[in-house]
Amino acid sequence: MDRNRSRLFGGCALGLVLALGLMGKPAGAQDVTDQRLLNADQEEGNWILHHKDYSAQRFSTLNQINAGNVKDLRVAWTLQLGGVEGGGIWSHGGLEGTPLAENGFLYVTDGWGSLYKIDTHGGQGVLMWKMDPKTDHDWAGAIACCGVDNRGAAFWHNLVVTHTLDGRLIATDKETGKILWQRQVANPDKGEVVTGAPLVVHDMAITGVAGAEYGIRGWIAATDLNTHQELWRTYTIPAKGEPGSETWKDDHDALATGGGSTWVTGSYDPATDTIVWGVGNPGPDWDNAYRPGDNLYTDSTLGLDAKTGQIKWHFQHTPNDPFDYDSVAENVLVDVNGQKLALEADRNGVGYAVDRTNGKFVWALPFVKQFTWTKGIDPTTGRPVDYDPSKGVQTYVASVTPSRTNKVTTICPGNMGGKNWPPTAYNPTLHLWYIPVIESCNRITVEETIPGKSFKPREGFTGGGPSDPIRITGSVTAIDVTTGKMAGKAETPYPMLGGLLATPDLVFAGQPDGKVMALDAKSLATLWEFNTGGGVSAPPMTFTVDGKQYIALLVGQGGAWDKWFIDSTPDLKRIAPGSTLYVFRL
Amino acid sequence: MHFAKPLAGRTSLALGFFLALSISEGLVVRAQTAPSDVAAGQKLFRANCAGCHKWHGGGGGGYGGDALSLRKTKLDRAAIIETIGCGRPGTGMPYHLRDAYENGACYGLKENDVANGMALAANNFLRPTEIAAIADYVIANVKGRGEPNYAECVAFFGTGSRVCNIYGDQRTAGAATK
Ligand code: HEC
Repeated sequence: MDRNRSRLFGGCALGLVLALGLMGKPAGAQDVTDQRLLNADQEEGNWILHHKDYSAQRFSTLNQINAGNVKDLRVAWTLQLGGVEGGGIWSHGGLEGTPLAENGFLYVTDGWGSLYKIDTHGGQGVLMWKMDPKTDHDWAGAIACCGVDNRGAAFWHNLVVTHTLDGRLIATDKETGKILWQRQVANPDKGEVVTGAPLVVHDMAITGVAGAEYGIRGWIAATDLNTHQELWRTYTIPAKGEPGSETWKDDHDALATGGGSTWVTGSYDPATDTIVWGVGNPGPDWDNAYRPGDNLYTDSTLGLDAKTGQIKWHFQHTPNDPFDYDSVAENVLVDVNGQKLALEADRNGVGYAVDRTNGKFVWALPFVKQFTWTKGIDPTTGRPVDYDPSKGVQTYVASVTPSRTNKVTTICPGNMGGKNWPPTAYNPTLHLWYIPVIESCNRITVEETIPGKSFKPREGFTGGGPSDPIRITGSVTAIDVTTGKMAGKAETPYPMLGGLLATPDLVFAGQPDGKVMALDAKSLATLWEFNTGGGVSAPPMTFTVDGKQYIALLVGQGGAWDKWFIDSTPDLKRIAPGSTLYVFRL
Repeated sequence: MHFAKPLAGRTSLALGFFLALSISEGLVVRAQTAPSDVAAGQKLFRANCAGCHKWHGGGGGGYGGDALSLRKTKLDRAAIIETIGCGRPGTGMPYHLRDAYENGACYGLKENDVANGMALAANNFLRPTEIAAIADYVIANVKGRGEPNYAECVAFFGTGSRVCNIYGDQRTAGAATK
């Protein structure tokens, strides 16, 4: 850590020194140790892990802003960020990140992976430094299925660790903003890109990969932050002969291009030293006859041994998926009724609870209004009731399921979900789990995939594509985790593309039309609303500085919606790209 | 990059008139525009078409739908112009003319004739001259081409990126970021 700030910051130094003087304590970076990360939930005013804590509850105990006074919440300050430029097939970048907060300093990323450190003392936001990783825009942007996205940073000692869309892990000095080292983890030449925030566990940074629309073989990789070497890489699709490979019954090596992305940051259970991580769809997305069998470990939740990366357990949601129903979702780790659960809200429209010590099914509940692909979930096995183990190619509700004989069909939920990457939040006092829902149906057109011909590196490998002739809306849906029953649904005019934050008596959310809102934690009634004037596709978070609570949120339409799914929400066409950090206070 | 250029009232009236004339002649939007600037067409192609048809026009599956290959297309210039302007109702190919289904300009159909949601509007509407420029680019640089190669890729993206690595040029291959 370089304390000689005046030389490093030039003009900024005076302001900083004054701010420090007023604070009367040595602000700035402290060592973020393993111990602090394990107890992240107890750092009330900080937000030092992507999902707030290892359990991914995204619950803050801060309650200066509460149901009684949230109506007075107003903008404290805003800060324009960058990264809005296009690249590859994308006309613009966007913001999907969750800011980190430590001792009054925010660390945020833009879509191209630039990292910004912002001093929030004194009721304003002052940019201290920006680290620009010089991401190769066209190399990555041409194969990013779903936008120019980066969901945030991680802390480790005096480093801030981030990813870039072009597949690097970057370690930046927290004080100076200088890149100390970097490592190529994913390979865009193979169709791999990285959009998630790293998860730091012990002295490792865990990386997930995107690219299941491009015929990748997915993985989760651990980089030793001391040596900068790879410690382990666990493929989410087994190699021939490995356990799970028997669930790929074809004769043309569908395994090799089997998909199974891992682009949403997972959670971690220290009690069993288990990383819990969601796995995406099989490739090709919609032509499941190309890959008969259950296609493990696609559409599954994995429990991994943190030290070795070995798969300890798995639970699969949609075997032999013909819908693009990823399970790349965060798992929320909660203890209720003496059970240790992992909660997952799936693209397929079902919320699942499994025992996180062994992956055993506990309960499931469809959380969407329109649900057509299966007649239901078997309450004892957690499998779709129409799943037929004797069949290689599943047809579920055959009249709606995309297949080589049902080439144009409408599915509910649509292929974006259900629930996509935007994170859920959990209130541990009320035992309510809040899901940011995309209430949708969309149309799938199937194209038969030809072995040896259809796959080409860096080319789409999807076996068809979606289109969106039907209006899509959203909701914040609450599930009572003690019963596995629905506790409420607050409908929204647009799909929830940003994710949630829970506080003792509130739930915060943003919408793609720019509105940010606070809902009552029990009734889900809207208690406060503000229009940011940009598209919101990032989760809110909260922190304190100078003893006051703030809510922070990145605003700038990110992701795939405005390119691929806009026909379902035509009035969102008027939303222009943007890149702004909003911070609210009472 | 957004190329949404709303047709101003008068232009749109004029276009409507032109289209009405075209239909009466059974031509339907087969605009008789002169060959235009191919470089401008490439820019417009990149912004409006490459997401679905890929930079090389080869198409294939993806979140943009199942786009056909413009390298293998049999369509002539007029038919390409018509397809860009009118889209293909019932498929993922969107229409790029703002008024495509307002006055019967496309396939003689109006909004009410097209089953709800069957005709998809493009993210950005294009002017007829822009559509012609794209069609000319497709004819000059895409239609009839074989497998995409390094030279073609670099002509599209320039040399600043590793996006063309996989087409086998060794000068940039493996040039890791340091
Ligand atoms: C949202 C995705 C999408 C976009 C954007 C798009 N297309 Fe298409 N296009 C398609 C699909 C899907 C088809 C196949 C339609 C079918 O099945 O007949 C298609 C078909 C076509 C065809 C017909 C080819 C043939 O041989 O029949 C042409 C020509 C074409 N597109 C040109 C373009 C051009 C030029 C642009 C840019 C102005 C463009 N498209 C933008 C998806 C798209």
